[in-house]
Amino acid sequence: MESKSSTTGNRDNPNRNLHGSKTMMASHFLRALFRIQQTSTSSSSAGRSRRIRRAAYASMAYSAGTRRAWSRALLRKLRSRARLRFPRRLSRAATPQRRDMDQAQVLRKLVPGGPSMDDCKLLEETADYIRFLTTQVRLMQTVMDSVSS
Amino acid sequence: MTEIIGFRGRYMQVCPSRSPPISELKNPLPHFPKCHRASTVTSLLDHRRSDPLPLGAWNRLVVDASLHSRPSLGMDPPSLMPRLPEMCRFPMLGMPPPELVPRVGRIGGDASVEESTVTEQCGGSKGRRRRRDPPSSGGATEDESSKFVSTCSGNELAEAEAKRLKAIKSTDGNDNIKSEAEASSGICNKLAAQNPQTTEPPKQDYIHVRARRGQATDSHSLSERARREKISERMKILQDLVPGCNKVIGKASVLDEIINYIQALQHQVEFLSMKLEAVNSPMNTTIEVFPSKDFSSQRYNTTSSLAYSSQTREYEQGSGTEWLHMQVGGAFERVT
Repeated sequence: MESKSSTTGNRDNPNRNLHGSKTMMASHFLRALFRIQQTSTSSSSAGRSRRIRRAAYASMAYSAGTRRAWSRALLRKLRSRARLRFPRRLSRAATPQRRDMDQAQVLRKLVPGGPSMDDCKLLEETADYIRFLTTQVRLMQTVMDSVSS
Repeated sequence: MTEIIGFRGRYMQVCPSRSPPISELKNPLPHFPKCHRASTVTSLLDHRRSDPLPLGAWNRLVVDASLHSRPSLGMDPPSLMPRLPEMCRFPMLGMPPPELVPRVGRIGGDASVEESTVTEQCGGSKGRRRRRDPPSSGGATEDESSKFVSTCSGNELAEAEAKRLKAIKSTDGNDNIKSEAEASSGICNKLAAQNPQTTEPPKQDYIHVRARRGQATDSHSLSERARREKISERMKILQDLVPGCNKVIGKASVLDEIINYIQALQHQVEFLSMKLEAVNSPMNTTIEVFPSKDFSSQRYNTTSSLAYSSQTREYEQGSGTEWLHMQVGGAFERVT
């Protein structure tokens, strides 16, 4: 896979260099999409979308490697074939009290591998998780655009 | 106790009487009270100013400071405690000549140089033992002091120093060093205002953080403070990452924003995966599920590393949606 060395323009901080991981993420995700498309021509749409979502998180965790606690926890979750739990849309309405004292707890639920980290590490992992999540979302949007246009 | 005092007596003997009057130091240190021990230390510092001492002087200084800052020995009046570790930071400030900073930084490298000087400073083995034995009960501060102190043993100075300083560097040394430096309060606050950037010697061997005036110096609050600073540092990074987080002030609202953002991103992943599934399904080859985007608003350029995007463009421009299925397959194939 050819490496892309073009600059993103919004990620030029030295400690946020995601170039290599972006390439890996893109290739992994596309390969997974292709596989899903080929193998599941007859399965339900919900199952396929679940698989696509899982492929998205897998490529995210895979490109992050094992350096990060969140990626390790995510990979563990994926490999054990457990159901990936994600915050449902309804839960936002269910918790009107947003300023709860245990924001750290809420954050721990969101970030994979959260419960086993202290506050300091939690913030660090959150930052990394956000970086990779935004990259993944942007990747999916691009795939979306290019496929549908 | 007497041994320590005796050691210090020797200390003072060793420092030649080149001690300039304390009034010279008055300008940067308006609060500096007179104390013979402190004057010893400042005399050392002044030596540094006028005539750079060998690195051994720095060790001496730290040794003395460590002696002073150790509460378990209980020999110093608490008033001395704040003052001496701040002496440790004088080399970091603008006062001493800048060439001393690399010297200080090379504390691990020039072990052989200091060996002789420090050995004579360390005095008898009794003093050494005395300093080494008290366990580092105070936590990080003690660790630092004991680390520096134990390097006084002349025999193993070279390896011990290098080892310990490497340990300082490699382990979560920032915290330890910060808490050691934070052990002092008072005068250095003003100096910090003048020299905010001199906290790090060029070789980055250790990082000193200015303590604020009047803050507690016990180990618990030191580590607490270091921890809080780490957390605030990470919060700043997060604020940069999350768009719109700069407008809110306050840790709680920033965390709220972060939580919302992560949830939004996760929902977006779900939504996009559903969309992708819908687009890719073989049923949709003739149905244009999504409004076609104009080619000018391509988002390929925003994400740089997608190899296929430029290649599929030629596909998509040529054919309609009935070829979507094959296009997708072809695009994926080309990429992989």
